[in-house]
Amino acid sequence: MASQPHALSYVGCNFLRQRLVLSTLSGRPVKIRKIRAKEESPGLRDFEASFIRLIDKVTNGSRIEINQTGTTLYYQPGLLYGGVLEHDCSPHRSIGYYLESLLCLAPFMKHPLRIVLRGVTNDQVDPSVDVLKATALPLLKKFGIDGEGFELKITRRGMPPKGGGEVIFACPVRKVLRPIQFTDPGKIKRIRGTAYSVRVSPQIANRIVDSARSILNKFIPDIYIYTDHMKGTSSGKSPGFGLSLVAETTNGTFLGAELASNPQGQGTAVLPEELGLNCAKLLLEEIYRGGCVDSTNQSLVLLLMTLGQQDVSKVLLGPLSPYTIEFLRHLRSFFQIMFKIETKPSREEPQGGEKVLMTCVGIGFSNLSKTIK
Amino acid sequence: LKREETTEETAVELPAFADSDDDLEMRSGEEGETDLDESKEEAEDQGDEESDEKESSDNHRFSKKVVPTTDSGNCTAEEASESEAEGSSEEEEGSNDDSEAVEDGDGDDDDDVENLLKEEEEYGEDNDFSVDTAGALKWKEDLTQKAAEAFLRQQQSAPNLRKLVYGTVAEDAD
Repeated sequence: MASQPHALSYVGCNFLRQRLVLSTLSGRPVKIRKIRAKEESPGLRDFEASFIRLIDKVTNGSRIEINQTGTTLYYQPGLLYGGVLEHDCSPHRSIGYYLESLLCLAPFMKHPLRIVLRGVTNDQVDPSVDVLKATALPLLKKFGIDGEGFELKITRRGMPPKGGGEVIFACPVRKVLRPIQFTDPGKIKRIRGTAYSVRVSPQIANRIVDSARSILNKFIPDIYIYTDHMKGTSSGKSPGFGLSLVAETTNGTFLGAELASNPQGQGTAVLPEELGLNCAKLLLEEIYRGGCVDSTNQSLVLLLMTLGQQDVSKVLLGPLSPYTIEFLRHLRSFFQIMFKIETKPSREEPQGGEKVLMTCVGIGFSNLSKTIK
Repeated sequence: LKREETTEETAVELPAFADSDDDLEMRSGEEGETDLDESKEEAEDQGDEESDEKESSDNHRFSKKVVPTTDSGNCTAEEASESEAEGSSEEEEGSNDDSEAVEDGDGDDDDDVENLLKEEEEYGEDNDFSVDTAGALKWKEDLTQKAAEAFLRQQQSAPNLRKLVYGTVAEDAD
């Protein structure tokens, strides 16, 4: 490296993952100050520290400096190394929190990443492993990332607060990404789902399925919701249940929705029937928002478009989420990429919420870490 | 500031689309009353009308006048029957009997169009020659006006997301 690029400076604990991921990909150091400086327990939380350790694991030569109170973080990224790894995630956030960032980084490693993540597989905050598996993986495939070595497998399920789940994520590396033109989501052709239950009666999963179907059956006949009851060591340390639903369209768009029960000892008990109904309604809401990518994966698709070859990529999204809007701003500061954002009013037939057409030219990012064979 | 820009855009864009049937719409705009009177007869004696129009088109300096004329003949038949059946159609000019309403509408519209689109005047002058062609096509009246309004409505209803996301820097970059 001839000259060290100027470090970007941020204030506050928000969007920590975005900043670290974009910093790693762009090679620009970041400095984050005043992380929860005014709170009673200042500084980085457990789960954030765990995330930083994970970033440290997948890279080689990163420099991370944190001050004593944990309120200031300096990160100078190294090379994305990858390889076979394992990581114990903090049970405060689910594995989805870590996996979302890994999905952004994994295609650009030197060695294909194969990582075992332990912790909470499903919670009420982050996208669960089930939903990421059903929506984010097909999305990566559209960019040319697939093959045998591409999998996300839940070997053990763990619910909050204690966790105890285990996930294997493997992703091949690519030198360049394919640009996408993805502007027609098509029509919903099938709905799939998983109702899981651990350390509770196996009957609960069936009750969830019945109630979810009571809503969805009115719209489409092709519905299949698997019941997944895990026992023994593969059921983690805490009881819980939940449902994740995915609607697939004729053009290969996957829209996901999910709900999980309250963690043991927190909040009131949730009825499985209620959870099933609400989750089905969430899926309908997601379908109403529509677009070619669901709201959890908006930022992932925008990142991969930015990093694509120097060609035009287009994608039609539903209403932009606040997280995505901030991500767009970060993309501008790290990669100097600005998207063309056009609203598409739905004309003839009712198409749900306002759609937004995002267009950009990729920066021609190529994976320099990858060894040429 | 935004609004001014859009107005200019429409003004620039307009000639291309007004060119195709400008004579028709302008003529109907100026000649509202006679249009209405004749429109009912037209359905019966189209032949006469077409011959009339051919004569008039000779005076006209547009060479490709023939195409719009045949168009008007066909459409008029439909239009007359439609207007009788439906009575009041979607626009304010929909009522057949009230010639006043038509006149009022026309006056306002002309002003508006001129305000919205400054360059429109030239076309108005050019098309004064086509006033004698009959054939009321009410849906074709004020097409420029409607198009300009629709364009502005869409421009204003759609928020500038790019500006919302990137702030004012986006404007500078453009």
